[in-house]
Amino acid sequence: MATLIKDIKLPDNVPSNILFEKHIEFLKEYGQDENNYEYGMMDYLRVSGMYWCLTALEFMNASPSHTIEEVAQYIKQCQDPESGGISACIGHDPHILHTTSAVQILCTYNKLDVIDTEGVVKYIKSLQLPDGSFMGDKWGEVDTRFSFCAVVTLSLLKRMDAIDVHKAVDFVASCKNFDGGFGSRPLSESHAGLMFCCVGFLSITNRLDIVDRDTLAWWLCERQLPSGGLNGRPEKLPDVCYSWWVLSSLTMLGRLHWIDGNALKTYILACQDTETGGFADRPGDVADPYHTVFGLAGLSLLGHKALQKVNPTYCMPQHVIDRLQLKPQILLN
Amino acid sequence: MSLNKSWHGRLKVRTTEEQKAQKHKEQQKKLGAYRLGMKQILSTRKPDEYDPTSLSISSQLLSVNPDIYTLWNYRKEVILLRIKQSQKDEIDGEEDLVQFLENELRLTEQCLLANPKSYGSWHHRSWVLMKHPKPNWDNEFMHVWDYRRLIINKIGITLTDELQFSMERLNANFSNYSSWHYRSTLRKLDAKSVGTELTLVQNAVFTDPADSSAWFYLRWVLSNPTVTAEQKQEFLDALDDLEQLEPECKWVIMAKCWLTGSLVLSDKDYIDRRVEYYKKLLKLDPTRKGQYLDYLKAAEEKTKITS
Repeated sequence: MATLIKDIKLPDNVPSNILFEKHIEFLKEYGQDENNYEYGMMDYLRVSGMYWCLTALEFMNASPSHTIEEVAQYIKQCQDPESGGISACIGHDPHILHTTSAVQILCTYNKLDVIDTEGVVKYIKSLQLPDGSFMGDKWGEVDTRFSFCAVVTLSLLKRMDAIDVHKAVDFVASCKNFDGGFGSRPLSESHAGLMFCCVGFLSITNRLDIVDRDTLAWWLCERQLPSGGLNGRPEKLPDVCYSWWVLSSLTMLGRLHWIDGNALKTYILACQDTETGGFADRPGDVADPYHTVFGLAGLSLLGHKALQKVNPTYCMPQHVIDRLQLKPQILLN
Repeated sequence: MSLNKSWHGRLKVRTTEEQKAQKHKEQQKKLGAYRLGMKQILSTRKPDEYDPTSLSISSQLLSVNPDIYTLWNYRKEVILLRIKQSQKDEIDGEEDLVQFLENELRLTEQCLLANPKSYGSWHHRSWVLMKHPKPNWDNEFMHVWDYRRLIINKIGITLTDELQFSMERLNANFSNYSSWHYRSTLRKLDAKSVGTELTLVQNAVFTDPADSSAWFYLRWVLSNPTVTAEQKQEFLDALDDLEQLEPECKWVIMAKCWLTGSLVLSDKDYIDRRVEYYKKLLKLDPTRKGQYLDYLKAAEEKTKITS
């Protein structure tokens, strides 16, 4: 009984470089037409979508189709005056995911003053439970993704003092698994996306000492498949977004060199749509802004010179993190 | 930051201009209906009463897309209203509420069958069960691990039964990472259980040495301080046999590194052997050469110190 490795075969003609013009056009078109089907139907994730598009454009040194002022005003209208949280779009409910995306966008544009930042701090604080974990919103779903969002947002606002950091760390530590990885809640299975959240959380709280470094880095580098792409868990197919989740985690752990960077680069470049622009999860699939930003961020971590340098903890341009004088922990090799 | 599911694995299909125009027309119709539905729901959302038509529209929209999180919130608000109402009616109140909540569970079931990874549906389902006066935990979702844990806590299945269940799952298919993970969470390993676990892993890796799942579990078992030197030696001998059969299998060599390395045994003889193992891994698995070079360097430095 032999195991077949789940993987894909790369197409014959992989683009040799980033198709900048196509991607910029692709991202700019997103959201320009109110009646674009996908844009309209996906209003429940709009503010995060704006973060993906705008950050991807930043990485490519391109300007968005809307002015910074328009973007900031839209976000302002998504803030719930009562709870202080920010929703995916006007009229929907506040949620920590969109609150974080909104703060990331506004920090990049240096426009935090348009929203009630104390309201945001109050909102994040209200979501912490006695065991240190964070809910996504007042309805109680708990996930380590939300712990990460909480510390990203508060550190960007320089208000980490608003929460019980000690307990928050204890909760994330309690989600560590037999394989050195982390899950969404205690005892839940490890997943590369959550690895980024938990390692990123520990990087911001300066507690990477909690990580079982070599075991986790081994698990992470075993995500690379013969195609060069990375999967999110053993026995799964490769996907461009894991170039970011896995690669950023390895970077924070000082083990980026444990994977084959050239092979991964080829895989990411193969996921570009040469007609429409944008990146897809796998070659030949439909491109979208989500895989586009993480594909570009991955290429930036791999040292692509024409892209802005990305910060591995925040997935934001490094110059923004420098301007804010933030120094998330990164282990040296 | 979000882990978005809607955009994964959609194969691009070529279409004619005519097909495109037709599709565009259909999409605009769908978008119009979605917007109208959302408007109806959000405009009738009130703290002290609810509109049954809006509630039914929200079921339809969620069945198509369970990621519209605001609609799950809306339904929770309605449930809270129904709970309040049910408390006023001593005769039929509970029965009415049960009917209502059962309907809610059916909706999440429908959403999960179409989209098993929908966070919103899972959370709504557990939330509803927590509010349910007579929850039926014995249902078909036991195969979903996180959910299984929740149910087990509620109905009190014994550890022995769960270990047996996990053993059966693994024997049916060793190549299932989730099953190994689940087993690792059932209890802390001790001197008594490590032996059983080593036998289990040994069966798995001999059945299919190329399957990675059991090897991850092995590394964890070996890191347990109660594993004896004798057990390690036995495993190492078994791996020598396996290497004869599968000389190209990187996992066998890797496990020998753990056994002879810092995890377990370390004397001069083993350090020398480890240098050879890492050199072999460099050939067998060049993708991860950065890792092996780091370890090779460390092993070579140790050789210098000991010689």
